[in-house]
Amino acid sequence: MADSGDLTSLLLRVEAITKNFGAVQALKGITFDVERGEVVALVGDNGAGKSTLVKIISGVYQPTSGKIILNGREVHFPNPAAAHAAGVETVYQHLALIEELDVADNVYLGRETTKYGVIGRMMGVLDRRQMRRATAAALESLHIKIPAPTMPVRMMSGGQRQAVAIGRAMTWGRQLLILDEPTAALGVEETEQVLAMIERLRDEAGMTFLVISHNMQDVYRIADKIVVLRQGRHAATLRKQETTMEEIVAYITGAK
Amino acid sequence: MSALPLTRQRAVETVARYGIVLVLVIMVAALTVLSPIIRGEQFFLTSRNLIQVALQAAINAIIATGMTFVITSGGIDLSVGANVALGGVTAALFMRDTGIGPIGGFFVAMAVGGLCGAFNGLLITRLDLPPFIATLGTMGMFRGMALIISDGRPVYGFGREFLQIFARQIDLPLIGAVPTQVVFALVIAVVFWWVLNRTKFGKYTIAIGGSEETTRLAGIPVNRYKMGIYILCGLLTGVAAALLLARLSSGDPTFGTFYELDAIAAAVMGGTSLSGGEGSIGGTIVGALVISLVRNGLNLFNVPSYWQDFVIGAVIVLAVMLDRWRKRQTRRV
Ligand SMILES: Nc1ncnc2c1ncn2[C@@H]1O[C@H](COP(=O)(O)OP(=O)(O)OP(=O)(O)O)[C@@H](O)[C@H]1O
Ligand SMILES: [Mg+2]
Repeated sequence: MADSGDLTSLLLRVEAITKNFGAVQALKGITFDVERGEVVALVGDNGAGKSTLVKIISGVYQPTSGKIILNGREVHFPNPAAAHAAGVETVYQHLALIEELDVADNVYLGRETTKYGVIGRMMGVLDRRQMRRATAAALESLHIKIPAPTMPVRMMSGGQRQAVAIGRAMTWGRQLLILDEPTAALGVEETEQVLAMIERLRDEAGMTFLVISHNMQDVYRIADKIVVLRQGRHAATLRKQETTMEEIVAYITGAK
Repeated sequence: MSALPLTRQRAVETVARYGIVLVLVIMVAALTVLSPIIRGEQFFLTSRNLIQVALQAAINAIIATGMTFVITSGGIDLSVGANVALGGVTAALFMRDTGIGPIGGFFVAMAVGGLCGAFNGLLITRLDLPPFIATLGTMGMFRGMALIISDGRPVYGFGREFLQIFARQIDLPLIGAVPTQVVFALVIAVVFWWVLNRTKFGKYTIAIGGSEETTRLAGIPVNRYKMGIYILCGLLTGVAAALLLARLSSGDPTFGTFYELDAIAAAVMGGTSLSGGEGSIGGTIVGALVISLVRNGLNLFNVPSYWQDFVIGAVIVLAVMLDRWRKRQTRRV
């Protein structure tokens, strides 16, 4: 791994971010770096501010103060679409997919391909055949196995859904993938599949991940770097090689 | 949870989807057989009666098509009945007192419907009111406005030409004479089946009903689409208002009472889920026909008309119960 000072490998810098909800100070000045091609885990107790921070990076919330720097340039994401346009994709825990739509419709949600030229685009005529073909190809290239792109998400298992959600984010996220609790609802085997997929995408495709997790085993296994939040403050940034699971837990609970 | 094997799930979904067609077939068969027994002659299966059934279904089907979009998006529009009255009265007044003519009158009704829909949409998206409450309020407002501008009296004298255009029969090849209103309903059904199933607007309608938050996080301007959905429902209600005005040849501020009930019933019976995310225009059309047959059947058997609303209301309750049951059977948790 490169040193954190190396500018060419720096993808994202979160700088002194604060966020107030009325009188509640959810974030009280968070600073950390994410380098290209690494998996950064964002950990902390309930209410530490992880989801709030992620929503700021992905354009759902606006920070009260502070900066987001992507590829060396300060960025402002007034809405999720702006973050998408900059190559930042987020998989939300309970809000990743629309159950009533099929896999291809989900992968292309908000990015539909249309047919019949300009008129078709104006009327929004969906080119489902093209989107299904591209979805099948994209998921296959990510080694994601699903029965068919026409399968309604409602009929899929938790692991399949998570795989589709990550696959969707992978298809569009050129820069950074943010995963909020990617294994929380999954069984042992499905968790293993998702973790292996994250590792593979980092190692083979050089993808960068910011992963929220409560599961220390998972964190310790996939993360290169661990950012600990405690009550809205930045408690520590730890490199995996230089820390232990006990130390991470100590920072989370405030014992250290 | 009580998730069934996939094949059983598929079976349950198929029954839920096409069950209403079965209901339609059974009702037609039953009325065909029963009407000569009870009335001493074939009363149901006459072209005169069937046209009556189709005419009743047509107006409801047009409103229910808009309602299908609204319900699929997770909303509801209780104001459509009042909207029918306001659109009809306004169009009648304009045609009587100005020279806009029959086509102009038709567009006035549509414009009123569209504005009412836009007003609903604004209350729901900008003020964040629950659709049920917002449209309950506008139901009262629109009905009140219809009564105010007409002084509470029916409006006559807006010209025969309007009736000649919108309440006549069109000779179609092979089929024969079909009322204009039925042609309107069929064209609208086909167009909006296509919109719901083949366009971004339709896909986003389903997505918003499935999960509004997820749709928003996907970068889709949810409020703009919700506005569009309520405006669409209003516009189609405006079309229905114009057609009803032509059929009844007067603009009455009390028209359209309980039309929201029929429209919601048609959609829900046809498989559109009141919890959003699923809608079927084909089902809605069949649902509208079934409702029309229920009313027709009750008429044939001389059941007092008060019972009709009771039965339609009970049918809604039953259809929603079935929908809940189906969801429990097929949803994995
Ligand atoms: N929209 C909001 N309005 C008001 N307060 C909020 C809002 N969102 C979060 N908060 C508050 O901000 C703090 C941080 O919440 P956040 O959801 O970011 O924590 P978290 O680390 O994701 O917790 P968890 O592990 O439980 O998901 C909490 O005190 C929470 O109550
Ligand atoms: Mg959280």
